[in-house]
Amino acid sequence: MSHDHGHSVVVPAPGPGFLPHTVAHHFDTPTQEFQSAKLGFWLFLATEILLFGGMFAAYFFFHQAYPETFHQGGKQLSWELGAINTTVLLLSSWTMAMGVRCAQTSQKNKLLVYCGLTVLGAVIFMVIKTIEYMAKYEHGFLPVFGGMGYDEATGQLAWYKDYHGVMEGVPFGNLFFSIYFTMTAIHGLHVIIGAGLILWIMKGAAKGRFHAHYYLPVDLVGLYWHLVDLIWIFLFPLLYLVP
Amino acid sequence: MSAHNHAHDASSAHGHDAHGYGPHHVTSSKVFFNVLLTLLFLTIITVAASRVDFGAANLLIAMLIASVKASLVIAIFMHVKWDTAINKVFFLSSFLFLSLLMIFTLSDQATRGRANPINKMKAPVDWQFVQPKAQHTNH
Repeated sequence: MSHDHGHSVVVPAPGPGFLPHTVAHHFDTPTQEFQSAKLGFWLFLATEILLFGGMFAAYFFFHQAYPETFHQGGKQLSWELGAINTTVLLLSSWTMAMGVRCAQTSQKNKLLVYCGLTVLGAVIFMVIKTIEYMAKYEHGFLPVFGGMGYDEATGQLAWYKDYHGVMEGVPFGNLFFSIYFTMTAIHGLHVIIGAGLILWIMKGAAKGRFHAHYYLPVDLVGLYWHLVDLIWIFLFPLLYLVP
Repeated sequence: MSAHNHAHDASSAHGHDAHGYGPHHVTSSKVFFNVLLTLLFLTIITVAASRVDFGAANLLIAMLIASVKASLVIAIFMHVKWDTAINKVFFLSSFLFLSLLMIFTLSDQATRGRANPINKMKAPVDWQFVQPKAQHTNH
């Protein structure tokens, strides 16, 4: 492959129905562009690991401090729904991996189908998550309403209202649900962002932008989606099956 | 396009495809499907293991199974197995730094109570040494 340094490099389309890709002008070769973007994205994913890692550290710290609180709190969650959501995310991770494979092998329609299935997985996940959140709201386990204040009599924060008394006598029952909501909400945000990115990939794929010669965005969005799955693999046993 | 289907050849991760448009590693559909089945199987194992009372070991077992699942996702689904050395170092180093956070936080917590008897033996705080600046302005 040869090119002038004064001109942008154009990666040709592998066939009809696909678009050529113009390498960004600050890169000399498509390989350089690919490697630079990939390295940057791995660095971003490393910061994501550390973002969630801080929360996991908080989880382990408080779990060690109040094991009974986490045991009782975990029982209030439906492990069945958690297991279904785990399965949904694992399946969607597989469809995404297959989607990237289809981009690598210039299979436009299959790429669209696999991306569509992945978005469907994201939607099912969020619907189940919403059902779970509503159940927690009905029990009064939603730590957002009212002001915050320490109640000496009950040892609870004032905004924590255990309507059904299931966490009665458990010290700092609110602690488990604060951690549950913080971690699952930030994870859920990643699911929504990931689904949006995959829709964006589908828009480009429909135009034929992604093929064997240029599939970088599909690859990166795929990595992001696998990270979402990765986090949930740890969240499921820690929140739903707490010993 | 058959040139892209040199799937299991790990050495291809560092090479370029026939066209020279970047490094390619196309994992076979069979490998992806087997990983999916393994992940689903390990999810069942996770739930089953949580039903048995192993005491304090339950948390450890759950984390071990989750780590195996995570390793599969990272190595195969995320293609890290076939990625370049620099990318491996960048991503996997985050787990090294995470382990630093975990080890120091949790070992601090686990050993906290042990320092209390020593603290109780201490003399009362002499504020002269705690706030020396305030002392200076008084002179």
